[in-house]
Amino acid sequence: MFRIIKKSLKTGVVTGQHPEAAPAAQPVPADAKATTKPFRRSLAIREVDTGSCNACEMEMNALMNPVYDGERFGLHVAASPRHADALVVTGPVTVNMERALKDVYKATPDPKIVIALGDCAITCGQFKGSYAVTGPVERHIPVDVRIPGCPPRPAEILAALEDLRERLGKPAG
Amino acid sequence: MTPSEILQDTFGKAIISASVVHGFPVFVLDKETLPLVAHFVHTHPDLRGSLSLLWAVDHRPREARYELCYLFTLAARKDWLLLRSDLHGDDRLFRSITPHIHAAKWYEREVRDLFGLIAQGHPDLRRLVRHEHWPKGTHPLKKDFSWDTVMGRQEGQYAFRRIEGEGVFEVPVGPIHAGIIEPGHFRFSVAGEPIMQLELHHFWKHRGVEKLFERRRLTDAMPLAERVSGDTTIGHSLAYCQAVETLLGVDVPRRAKYLRSLFLELERLHNHLGDVGAICNDTAYALAHAHCSRMKERIMQLNDRLTGSRFLRGVNLVGGVGCNLAAGQLAEIAEEAAAIERDFSELEAIIFANASLTDRLEATGILKERTAWDHAVMGVVGRASGIDRDLRRDHPFAAYDELPVKVALYRYGDVRARLRVRMDEIHESMRLIREIRARIPQGAIMAEPSRVPAAGEWALSAVEGWRGEILYMVMAGEEGRIHRCKVRDPSFVNWPAIQWAVLGNIIPDFPLINKSFNLSYAGNDL
Repeated sequence: MFRIIKKSLKTGVVTGQHPEAAPAAQPVPADAKATTKPFRRSLAIREVDTGSCNACEMEMNALMNPVYDGERFGLHVAASPRHADALVVTGPVTVNMERALKDVYKATPDPKIVIALGDCAITCGQFKGSYAVTGPVERHIPVDVRIPGCPPRPAEILAALEDLRERLGKPAG
Repeated sequence: MTPSEILQDTFGKAIISASVVHGFPVFVLDKETLPLVAHFVHTHPDLRGSLSLLWAVDHRPREARYELCYLFTLAARKDWLLLRSDLHGDDRLFRSITPHIHAAKWYEREVRDLFGLIAQGHPDLRRLVRHEHWPKGTHPLKKDFSWDTVMGRQEGQYAFRRIEGEGVFEVPVGPIHAGIIEPGHFRFSVAGEPIMQLELHHFWKHRGVEKLFERRRLTDAMPLAERVSGDTTIGHSLAYCQAVETLLGVDVPRRAKYLRSLFLELERLHNHLGDVGAICNDTAYALAHAHCSRMKERIMQLNDRLTGSRFLRGVNLVGGVGCNLAAGQLAEIAEEAAAIERDFSELEAIIFANASLTDRLEATGILKERTAWDHAVMGVVGRASGIDRDLRRDHPFAAYDELPVKVALYRYGDVRARLRVRMDEIHESMRLIREIRARIPQGAIMAEPSRVPAAGEWALSAVEGWRGEILYMVMAGEEGRIHRCKVRDPSFVNWPAIQWAVLGNIIPDFPLINKSFNLSYAGNDL
């Protein structure tokens, strides 16, 4: 017990100890902001990987670590699309995942927004044109917000989500 | 006797030709005798070959010939051995080795899906990579299949193995999971709590990586290799680079080799730290997870400061590395590593003082040594089940010939053993980083190619990534293009083994077992 307390005291608060995000390459459109108004101070996210290399997933996971701590802004990862306000889609849409993506979109209650995360989700990136890839996310479901990068840094994802809902506070520190 | 002499002695007449290609002994055999020789290599006490890789090549348009290659690692001697047989003309049948060598099971299904070559006598010829909705006759790695074909869709269902009886339930999980993870499907059969059977249905993320390689030149496929499995950027790019450097006759400078080892260890560190935390988190011990992900984040930020990429992208180049580190930066790495190691050691003490945590880990998800051997399991998972293999020691690459590695080895094969392997490897990586800083020579970091490979020439390369052995076979085509690139992430080999590790465990322990394997879906599906 003392060991744990000592460790926590020694570590201190690490939240916000990260480099500032670079200015967003693609600003969040106004109608996406309007759609998210009813969600007020929280955003339940369902992440759907449709063929990414796993780097975008790792950065999404990093968003919830003590350094970025997305929860302090009301960000929450929902286990089911039924509980989600936003779908975060990563990767080019593979032929095998196409149907699953459409099903998830249908299963997510309205109002909802779709965030295409990473270059692959936006343009198919390195996998463009492949027989096993059926095109970027927007070919299959409407996309509201685009966060480019390969992969985008967690600070950039956080900044985009903050921009999406201007009520979110600035990160501490 | 050397392995080659043993084979010559026993099968002298049946061997069509024997040669050594870039250090790999190659025996060409008739397709009828190959299964016999493979079985012999697998079981002979002086060879004990375990199947490391099986791949096919379509030689059209130059020749109407398919080639099948079987790469063995000889456990008794730490050598490689390659068997090859050819299928001429319209011949599409070969004899399966799966009845004797279990590790070939997925490879032969893969060859069938991607090339349309059929392994006769294979016990399970359901589709693997091609999901049921792919039209019949779609074999993407055949040379007459265009890389940008738009596929049609047919109806069909994967036939899962079913257990029927009173009180037996099927629990389907995926492809989309509850956490932020990649897609894959798991089908459990349970009676009450314990798992009676688990069947995997993967390849949801198949992106056609190997076909996309064939559109690139040898020197410009790096961005693709880095994105095979994003968490193993350095491992995959290094394996690709080494194969191409062998083909182009590049003599990589020592300093570049040291830097490659350094970056590989940094990659191992951030992934292992993340895994230790995630394993604890799956037993609901959030404290350790928070500390570990904080440490992992420190390394990711260090990577970003050093190279401009948190995942070390763009670091490896054909010929060397694209990023030199000044003495000050090396000192910064060493300082960070020392601080994180102190931090991590304190956390280890906290983790193992927690009885309710260790209780969840011990005797959970046991992968027996025999099962691991039969499936040719490798990497962290293998070393937790008594498979004493580490390429950094057995076949040194990069700068490991001058950096002796102490290999972590445990025998219990449970979740705790896999956690311990990772913890030991974290300390070993820290030590290696200090060693690299002390020994790194000055000099150039890039070298130029000295030759042009002939069409059809190939090279193999092997790298011990943080998950395990990453293998690349690159075959040159006309005018510096790639004719064929076989990518093998360790996940492809270790996935089937998880089906055995979970038996008798309860479903709530599955996430924990799965996390302790932590295999890549992207690297598996390609």
